[in-house]
Amino acid sequence: MDLAFSPEDRAFRDEVRDFIATHLPADIRRKIQAGDHLAKDDYARWQRILFERGWVASGWPKEYGGTGWGPIQRHIFYEEIAFGWAPRLLPFGLHMVAPVIIEFGNDAQRARYLPTIANGEEFWCQGYSEPGAGSDLASLATRAERQGENYLINGTKTWITAAQWADWIFVLARTDPNAKKQEGISFILVDMKTPGVTVRPIETIDGGKEINEVHLENVVVPVENLVGKENEGWTCAKFLLEHERTGTAGIAGCRQQLETLHELIARESIDDPRLEERIAQVEIELEALAFTELRTLAAESAGKRPGPESSILKIKGTEIQQALSELALDALGPYAESHLAPKYFNFRKTSIYAGSNEIQKNIIAKRILKL
Amino acid sequence: MDFTLSPEQLLIKDSVARFAAGDHAGTEKWPQFAELGWLAIGAPDDLGGFGGPIETLLLMEQFGRGLVTSPYVAQVVLAGQILRAADRTELLERLVEGTERFAVAYEEPQARYDPAAVKTSAVRDGDAYVLRGTKVRVLDASTANTLIVSARTGDEISLFAVPADAPSATRENYASEDGYDVANVRLDGVRVDAAQLIGPVGGGLALLERALDHATAALCAEGLGLMSLMLEATVEYTKQRRQFGVPIGSFQALQHRMAEMFIEVELARSVAYMAAMTLEEQAGDPVARRRGVSAAKVQMAKSGRFVGQNAIQLHGGIGMSEEYKVGHYFKRMTMVERLLGDAQYHVARYIASRGAAVTAAPDRDPVGASGSRAS
Repeated sequence: MDLAFSPEDRAFRDEVRDFIATHLPADIRRKIQAGDHLAKDDYARWQRILFERGWVASGWPKEYGGTGWGPIQRHIFYEEIAFGWAPRLLPFGLHMVAPVIIEFGNDAQRARYLPTIANGEEFWCQGYSEPGAGSDLASLATRAERQGENYLINGTKTWITAAQWADWIFVLARTDPNAKKQEGISFILVDMKTPGVTVRPIETIDGGKEINEVHLENVVVPVENLVGKENEGWTCAKFLLEHERTGTAGIAGCRQQLETLHELIARESIDDPRLEERIAQVEIELEALAFTELRTLAAESAGKRPGPESSILKIKGTEIQQALSELALDALGPYAESHLAPKYFNFRKTSIYAGSNEIQKNIIAKRILKL
Repeated sequence: MDFTLSPEQLLIKDSVARFAAGDHAGTEKWPQFAELGWLAIGAPDDLGGFGGPIETLLLMEQFGRGLVTSPYVAQVVLAGQILRAADRTELLERLVEGTERFAVAYEEPQARYDPAAVKTSAVRDGDAYVLRGTKVRVLDASTANTLIVSARTGDEISLFAVPADAPSATRENYASEDGYDVANVRLDGVRVDAAQLIGPVGGGLALLERALDHATAALCAEGLGLMSLMLEATVEYTKQRRQFGVPIGSFQALQHRMAEMFIEVELARSVAYMAAMTLEEQAGDPVARRRGVSAAKVQMAKSGRFVGQNAIQLHGGIGMSEEYKVGHYFKRMTMVERLLGDAQYHVARYIASRGAAVTAAPDRDPVGASGSRAS
């Protein structure tokens, strides 16, 4: 039994740390440290830098330009990104649609889409949720009607992060309204510039507009944009859910939150033993979760498939993120510093998105405890 | 990075699991433990010892799962680690053989848990010391031949081996809620030779603290075992128990509660291993040791309380019956949570050992992850 990273992994960590320290643009680092929102160009610049280093496609098979990293290296990479105050790239292109195109798409699609996903020339967003379909995604109603060489798509997708920046949207749409729920769904790629696609920002309680509604009205999409087989889109969706679990717990991000919190307390000369105690409790739980993540990683490294244990990481990780945002607000009180309250408001989303914590508990109950 | 157990470790785990699953209630276990070699865990090789904190964890987890009531933590881990660090090989040898048994008397009425809060005095008188004071909550004293007692020699603390039947050492046993042997001991001028010193004069606190950390880690492992059994029993029960025509385990409110219990058990598992690995890999760093072990106890206390309380809740009425096992696990968990320092004590200890700088990028390997980036 041995907790240490191998010398190769440690060397890799040093390499990544070094690269970030020397190549991350200072203005981007400052924004992340201050908790400010990034602009599209910030993401594009950083992605270009990582692309040129060959470090952008961490989850892709090597033959398609992937880095060939195992679970431990991926973990190290994302930890160093957080510790170096670098942005996490938006996952929709790189870590969501690309793996699906690689696994279920055809050569023409791989040739057309993968290069611009990798170099960041094209941005993507995820067209899954609808006003009437959140946790019950399979009940989605967006309709894709086959008409000759095209699909005619009608419907509304919502809660879409970065749709305002996206060149493409991958859409789960119903191609067979008579089939049983999951069995009539297809995975279709839609160009955001297609007539009939309208993006409306949704303002959230933190004052930001990171999410949007996308209306699809008689949008004509060539049949070539279907990924995989018609009516087998749910398989793609499930594959996506099981595929990229790295960083689910957001541990490194939480450590950064903690560091920021301690700096804040020192800077404001806050002397509050009870607050210190509450912070220590969360810190301890964070370390317990971090160790749990390492145990999962070690198992994955030894060949075990990622499974429902990631639900533990999601539930506890988001609870800790929220607790830290709460403690920061408690430390300074209301009306004190401009971004602490909005950050707390914004973080209420973490227990809701990526599979609500209640759904995650259902998963643990059914798939682990077999209830 | 590897969390798999070696064949030797698996052997220990399996043999203890077998013992724990058997009928061990009320039996005189010590000769059995001696024969099975379990008294030698954590002792040096040249005394026939083997293993360390991980092996202790494996044993204690199984003891927890089987609700094995024994003086193991107090007499093997706590006492044994003091003797080991003090190089008292002849005493340690007798402990390992099972021919002499040791209990540790350190706590005093004026301060819960704190080994530095000592008023018991050891006054020099020629070649001897005279001990005067009161020790409380001494674990497993009645089966011990020798008490290891902490007392003040001047400004420092020293440890002394005191025969349990020494005249002027009065022991008052009392019943505990979890079936354990606990006593208060009054020392009214007990005379001990300088030869009965354990460790150097004035060097007792460091020895005691280190051993307490080992014993605390062992308790974390026992807690893990208790919790995992309580969860399993609860899941099993809710699958069987039917009300309103269905197993109650199909109700979402209960499913979610059990999912939450599962998460707590996993966190407890992590910290039990974290504590053991801290003891193994950072033996030379008392601050890191303190931080790792105290963090583990804090988490274990929180997780254990949640799992224990909810195990009873989800069992409904029968969870409250003395006849059914879950209540007994819950009672032991309640004691373990507070033994050798409750959450409050250990949070303060964690904060003190963490220092001003805080958790950020691990510059060292994961066990040292709570170190400061600035260092």
